[in-house]
Amino acid sequence: MSTLYLDNVSKVYDGAPDRAVDSLSMHIEDGEIVALLGSSGCGKTTSLRMVAGLESITDGEIRVGNRVVNALRPAQRNVAMAFETYALYPPLRVRENIAFGLLRDRVPSGEIEKRVKQIAAMLEITDLLDRYPPSISGGAQQRVSLARALIRNAAVHLLDEPMSQLEPQLRALLRARIKDYIIAHKMTTVVVTHDQTEAIALADRIAVMEKGLLQQFATPHDLQDRPANLFVASFIGEPPMNLFPAVVQDGGIAVLNDRQEVAFHMSVAVSGASGKLGDGKRIVVGVRPHRIGLAPGERAEGTNLVGEVTSNHWLGDQCQVGFQVRGCHVIAVGGRDVHAPMGSQVPVAISGEAVRIFDAESGVAIDQGPEPAASLVA
Amino acid sequence: MAFLEITGLSKSFKDHKVINDLSIGIEKGEFLAVFGPSGCGKTVFLRLIAGMMPADSGEIDIDGQSVVDANPEDRDIGMAFQNYALYPHMTAFDNIASPLRSRHVTAAEVDARVKETARMLRIDHVLDHLPKALSQGQKQRTALARSLVGRPSVVLLDDPLRNVDAKIRYEMRFELPRVLRRYESTVIYVTQDYKEAMALGDRVAVLVDGAFGQAAAPHEIYDSPSTIRIARLFGDPPINLLPVRPITGAAGTEMSVAGSTVRLPADRAALSGRECMFGIRSENVVVSLEPNNGIPMTLDAITPVNNRLVMLLGGNEGTELFASCPQGGPMDRLRGRHNAWITLDLAHAHFFDNGNGARI
Repeated sequence: MSTLYLDNVSKVYDGAPDRAVDSLSMHIEDGEIVALLGSSGCGKTTSLRMVAGLESITDGEIRVGNRVVNALRPAQRNVAMAFETYALYPPLRVRENIAFGLLRDRVPSGEIEKRVKQIAAMLEITDLLDRYPPSISGGAQQRVSLARALIRNAAVHLLDEPMSQLEPQLRALLRARIKDYIIAHKMTTVVVTHDQTEAIALADRIAVMEKGLLQQFATPHDLQDRPANLFVASFIGEPPMNLFPAVVQDGGIAVLNDRQEVAFHMSVAVSGASGKLGDGKRIVVGVRPHRIGLAPGERAEGTNLVGEVTSNHWLGDQCQVGFQVRGCHVIAVGGRDVHAPMGSQVPVAISGEAVRIFDAESGVAIDQGPEPAASLVA
Repeated sequence: MAFLEITGLSKSFKDHKVINDLSIGIEKGEFLAVFGPSGCGKTVFLRLIAGMMPADSGEIDIDGQSVVDANPEDRDIGMAFQNYALYPHMTAFDNIASPLRSRHVTAAEVDARVKETARMLRIDHVLDHLPKALSQGQKQRTALARSLVGRPSVVLLDDPLRNVDAKIRYEMRFELPRVLRRYESTVIYVTQDYKEAMALGDRVAVLVDGAFGQAAAPHEIYDSPSTIRIARLFGDPPINLLPVRPITGAAGTEMSVAGSTVRLPADRAALSGRECMFGIRSENVVVSLEPNNGIPMTLDAITPVNNRLVMLLGGNEGTELFASCPQGGPMDRLRGRHNAWITLDLAHAHFFDNGNGARI
């Protein structure tokens, strides 16, 4: 319904030595779904609460549409929020809790009834409409809180850990229905979550945060395929990227094993933004498990090795294979029918295109791979 | 008789039968993953085997010897807990050594065995640290080392990766089988993550209503679940389930899905006239954006999950279906609703009895 721009937004709590949020800048487009992702204490919830007006802003500017909202009270910002703690009104029935915001917005009662019915069906709480919050399960209360936020027409919708308590069997269904609803209603939405599965499933773009700092703000695809630094590379992905310590040698890469000996060479053109990397430079090589070929006879333009299979995890719709290449542990993900029994030797094909290079010292990506495609939201 | 043979094990709390006439045999060196929803009695099951809780009835034999009346320390069992349960005032070394202390092992032997186990789990460099100085992953490894150091013939692991972050969880998932195989341990591993159970178990035992509803190799549980309940516990998104009533006519045996007629393979003729539940996993539902002779539906939302695109489809009569396909195709760039046509790979479909939920 509106754009949401954060420019150099910081938060310092009284007496705290570090910034809870440090110069966060994000331009969220109209109708975009953005996830703030990170572990506890990374600053994601504080950022959301600053947008909602529940925390003061130490520094920087937040704009909803063309309006700077820094000094506005929560109710003046035209944002709808679902709280991690649900924050339902115990003396009101579920139905009244959901309708609460609409009554305040003076929506006609016929329409309120219609919309409550629709959203309750979507979130599977129709049977609970006449119950009181304390008498329903935590997972159900969370869905009521979500319904109360999603039903409103607001400039921006803020959802704090909206699905953390959902019953596992419902999660995939509600995730998809909610995404459909948000897109159909062109709602600008910010979701805070610690769960990358949820972030990747829902969001057009994900902001990965750590220690108050934005690490990368990109599409799920780019976070997985082109991580900006080692933090993102090791945080995102199921399983995350393989990372090998290495040194530049004769313009190629020598990958080191646990004992710091050369395990194997990769014939990859190593160059960064500043041109060729000097011999002896310490780097970290990253390869996504999903981009390692394991098919018998498969060869890549790049590096072809042989690994000994140390584990093979079959997950129904895919296979995760662990193997050792001269003292290096590597994980690859293949289709349902990869044949790689424990102890067997398998070909390991790594194309030059799949190799990412990070500075070992700073952790920053030197070579992120090919340019990303355009964002899905115009 | 199997190496670890459990027969008719039962345990009630007040009137609630948590473990109810449970029997299973586990071979030497086997890795059995016990999976079930939270609160299904998995931890109680482990505690009964370890002797930390008396069973109401039943028999537990290890290598042909009954252990039901033995004290926990005499059962030759190692155990690691979800919350690590390390002694806070002891170094990692002493924590790992603790099961050996009571057994009259010489100091030199203790030293050698602790160090060997620690090396195996890559914590040999932090042995002089107190638990509070260990990272989450190191604590987990210390607890595992403690369960293995006495070379017990049976190792019980109670959801040991539940509280560690994703990176450590993956590392350990790949490392655990290697370590445990080296020790030739017989392992019972409890988890409430079906993927972990499938990844680690030689067999997966599904605990429902206090007993194992099915205990089989991961692919057998996934591809041939014995009941509708077990089918629903494996897979993300969960298996699609639709009520159907196949009818055999001139054109063969057919059923209605989302308002369209679907013809079943000839060997399904026996289902004719029977109200039952049709089950098909998302990966066996194929989506096309080009009109074809498939079932017309609306592609409502695409949610990428674990490098696959999970698609929610809506159709006639309020039908909802999940489909999924690997990422990297034309669907990657889609957003919002689209018309779609779906085909069902019926070779991988299931039918379940409406009464007892058994697979037909």
